[in-house]
Amino acid sequence: MLLASAAALPLLLGAAGCRSSDVFTGPDPLAGRPPLGHDVLTLQAVIAAEENMIDLYQLAISGDSGTTRARTLRSLLAQHQQHLVQLKARLIVPPGASASPSPSSASPSPRASTVSITRLRAAERASAADLVRRLATAPPALAQLLASIAASDATHATALGG
Amino acid sequence: MASTGAVAALQAALAAENAAIFGYGVAGAHLTGSSQAAAEQDWTAHNQARDALAAMISVRGAAPAAAQAYYQLPFRVHDAPSAIRLAAYLEDGVTRAYLGLVAVSDQRLRRFGAMAMQDAAQRAASWRGSTQAFPGLTPLVP
Repeated sequence: MLLASAAALPLLLGAAGCRSSDVFTGPDPLAGRPPLGHDVLTLQAVIAAEENMIDLYQLAISGDSGTTRARTLRSLLAQHQQHLVQLKARLIVPPGASASPSPSSASPSPRASTVSITRLRAAERASAADLVRRLATAPPALAQLLASIAASDATHATALGG
Repeated sequence: MASTGAVAALQAALAAENAAIFGYGVAGAHLTGSSQAAAEQDWTAHNQARDALAAMISVRGAAPAAAQAYYQLPFRVHDAPSAIRLAAYLEDGVTRAYLGLVAVSDQRLRRFGAMAMQDAAQRAASWRGSTQAFPGLTPLVP
């Protein structure tokens, strides 16, 4: 019989004078939870930034509902919400690890009255630039999603008058 | 010798630029005033991009694919609205083509492709009058 349960494996190895790390070439699976992969960390950071952007738009709209400007902002906000859905759909966190992105280093949330078009435009530009910076180390499929979102953000900046 | 993936992605972008150059020639004939000026400006941008891509392909030891003599248009272009729709369609195609460059292993090509996507997406949004959530990507379902 060649099959053994996972629970019995350490006992079998111990009887044979082996440690588990002797038979696995990768990280020791019994040594605890592995660190999160770079692509997971990238996704978490991008998700946090996207959530900040959504907050910014919602604050801007709440201070200016019903105008033509608010309609434009709602349209752009809807696209950011689509970005967030797609980013979250790609985030697979190992069991037991925190799915919550680390707190953003962005500035504290402003009051509605302080969210100007200029500020939104600057945020869109900064987001596009940040996403392009992250391309270098992202897996190909994720890089394509980030590049597409960056292109969308760049068009938003222009739609906001920049 | 460059990877065949990078050269293939560059050739695909070049093909899209050549198609856009042809298409803008058609679209521009149906436009006037500021729209025609914008089409000429975009046509010039695509010519410059074509030359840049051809140089990048040559540097990698390959021959840039030649433009076709004629391109089948996706719909009949007979007036200004259809010409504007064609311009947006062309830019969507260029954006998609540069997306291929973003997936290659060469980091400089990735960045180049991403910046070219932004340029094309901006032109598409200008012609269309609206932005898109995922320029260059086919509609995504969560």
